[in-house]
Amino acid sequence: MNAPGAGSRGRLFGKNVLEAVFRASPDEDLFLGELLVGVDDATGRRYLFRVVDVTYGSEHREPGWAERVAGTLLSDDARGEAGGHRLHEQSRRTYRVATCRCLGYLTPDGADFRKPKSLPTQFSRVVSPEPADFDFLRTRMGDLPVGRLRSGETTVDFEVGIPGTSLATHVGVFATTGMGKSNLVKVLAAGVMQRQGGYGLLVVDPHGEYRGELARHPWASDRLRTYANRRLPNTSALKIGLGELAVDDLRTAYEWSRPQEEALFELERHYRADGLSWLLEFSHVDDLAGFRDVELNGRVALNTLQVVHRRACRIVSLPCIATDASVSVGAAVLRDLREGKVVLLDVGGLGSTEEVLVASHLTRRVLDEWSAVYLEDDEAHKRLPVVAVVLEEAQRVLSANKDRESNVFPRVAREGRKFNVGLCAVTQQPKLLDGELLSQFNTFFVLGLADEKDRTILRSSSKQDISALGPEIQTLMPGECLVANLEAPFAVPAKVHLYADVVRACPPPPARRPLAPPNVAAFVD
Amino acid sequence: MASPSLAAAAERLAVLLSAGAPAPVRDPDGPDLEFEAVVTPRPLARGAAPPEVWAVDGGQATVADARSVQLLVTRAARARFLGGECVLEDEGQLRAWLVGCGEERVAAASLGLGVAADAAVDVNLLRDAGEWEAVARSVEEASAGAYVLVDGDLRPDLRIPGERVATLLAGAAERGVIVLSVTKHSSLARGGAPLLVQLELEASAHFGDRALWWAPLARTKPASGFDVQVVAARLDPDARFAFRVDLPGWLDPEPVLGALSALCDDAAFPGYPYPLTVADRLAACPSWLRHDVRLDLDDHLDVAGVPLEVRERAFADRHRLMERA
Repeated sequence: MNAPGAGSRGRLFGKNVLEAVFRASPDEDLFLGELLVGVDDATGRRYLFRVVDVTYGSEHREPGWAERVAGTLLSDDARGEAGGHRLHEQSRRTYRVATCRCLGYLTPDGADFRKPKSLPTQFSRVVSPEPADFDFLRTRMGDLPVGRLRSGETTVDFEVGIPGTSLATHVGVFATTGMGKSNLVKVLAAGVMQRQGGYGLLVVDPHGEYRGELARHPWASDRLRTYANRRLPNTSALKIGLGELAVDDLRTAYEWSRPQEEALFELERHYRADGLSWLLEFSHVDDLAGFRDVELNGRVALNTLQVVHRRACRIVSLPCIATDASVSVGAAVLRDLREGKVVLLDVGGLGSTEEVLVASHLTRRVLDEWSAVYLEDDEAHKRLPVVAVVLEEAQRVLSANKDRESNVFPRVAREGRKFNVGLCAVTQQPKLLDGELLSQFNTFFVLGLADEKDRTILRSSSKQDISALGPEIQTLMPGECLVANLEAPFAVPAKVHLYADVVRACPPPPARRPLAPPNVAAFVD
Repeated sequence: MASPSLAAAAERLAVLLSAGAPAPVRDPDGPDLEFEAVVTPRPLARGAAPPEVWAVDGGQATVADARSVQLLVTRAARARFLGGECVLEDEGQLRAWLVGCGEERVAAASLGLGVAADAAVDVNLLRDAGEWEAVARSVEEASAGAYVLVDGDLRPDLRIPGERVATLLAGAAERGVIVLSVTKHSSLARGGAPLLVQLELEASAHFGDRALWWAPLARTKPASGFDVQVVAARLDPDARFAFRVDLPGWLDPEPVLGALSALCDDAAFPGYPYPLTVADRLAACPSWLRHDVRLDLDDHLDVAGVPLEVRERAFADRHRLMERA
């Protein structure tokens, strides 16, 4: 049995209900984000702390004491006489001071975790957590695993994830380049595949980076459907019927001036065709000036019309745009999502605006379909899987100046949860997202973010208090993240699984149910 | 008569500070010292640190001040180092004294030092007495070859009979224990100028900025009853200051100072023996301690039935009242 105090990493001495400050020995290796436990022997409570800062402390109170010591040692170094002076009894004279956020406390029976509302007894021991200290989290980690609990630099053998249902309340994945956004999306997609139809994911992949990787998942043959903008093995052709596209999709994808928008409406009125099928005919117009004068009675400026015409030509020439509505994959995508599959749209080769055009159209279809079922048949709606649209560089469609009636993405952000349709916004510049829209996101995956402005907007929108975690977010290594949602009582630090490891550890998919042999007798009279 | 002006004072101070080497060395506080005719710094080599070191220092505080009578506390702290590690930190017992209105005579008598009946009794005397007791205990507990370091000088307060210290030093010598003292801010002067300041400048010019050096300064007069030699020493290459060091007269100073120098390598206090800084910390009577003692005192006065108003009025700091006006 350990002696009382054994394993102590510090002693609590100050601050308030929400913050704790403890003293540790000068060689105690404390890390930002490390989870520690304050053991209150008087009440039996175990307070869970997260280290948010570590500084130096000294028994000496004279101003400049530490600087003077450092100066003496530095002078020795400069003379090549390191060791000429030493700091006697350094372990007594100096120490470390760790500032922590109090995340809450475990009741003495360990059964309940409560938000902090009381002070732990002063000078309580601070120790490393035991596995049982995290038991309360197990029921809150959901059915979409993403990684393992992280305590500072240490990975704890404890699965961290989110409930698949939280896809409907929108998920944000925020990180600068190279911090692991794509890996996280792949891990999420793997989780969706392994939930066997419980959830659907529509992943718009602009760089073709997911296709090969997701296809390697053992369950991909059943649970992944890939549509590609170009001919690729094991993919279906991505075709969107012109007649299915709406002017609003155009308005979402492209920047239009007010006169250009008026021109769009004018053309729509002129052609009176389904969706944007008129774009084809319009793109064939050679004499724009004559068309303007004769067909539009000169109501549109010529240069405005030229812009619309140029874009129309570009759109109708896209390989993924079909003039024949019967080859459109829209219905197939909806069917796949209804079956709870991961639908990957490989839009590599498309420009950014055309990519948004495709994503806008399919998102609108999903939202319309799910909302229609919700309004018409509540029971049928309950059987529909929760779906989310994964969109890279989400600031393109979720920034403040993009929040217009025509843009389907803000609509999904505001209304989607009611219909079980969510967004999974991936961006390295959350500061460009509209604050009000961001507040609709209930789940944040915050990976390394260097820009203070990015961290600031996340702080103000997160469903858990991450105000003190700026330094930790700044120092996150690739694959390390904070998961903030309404399920966990605090932003949970995690080390995201490597997708390759997920694939390697994944069990084979369940065997398909064998078809019953045909009962020939039934056909014999 | 001309009124004293700052200009005149500064002019005189400049003369004193500029006094050169030819001026005689003296100690305004030590009439029983016989000074070297010429003080010459000489190089010092750092030796090996003594295996066992004791350090003694005293502290004091005024707990309650009714001006006519004061309640003081003193203590003498000790630290022991073995092989460079601190193995004992003894803050020392807190002793409470009443001074004023003749109460100090009771205090002086309780010291058992034979303090003269007409001698003034103040906190310095009371603190010093405790320090010498602590030094005596340290010598008794020290092994042969140990150093016992004392903050201040080896010539005790003049009100304490010198024989006591002489006996203590002799006893230490018999046990092979070396008692020496270090004075941080000495009153030694040469022609009115601080002697150590002048020596620091002279030695720096002679040996270089980073030299260790020492200089014999004085010995106690034979009539004083005890044999102590006084030296100045700079004990670390990065020491900002040299200090006065007192040693028993029969010791060869150079090896002792070399060993003492080895204790002066702390990066925070280069040039001052680190064990003495520990004793200084232990002996200090910070404000929280004064506050605690004051609360205890109030408890006792409560029991004794002294009304709160009487106490508050007696111990109120009336200067503060004036400063508020």
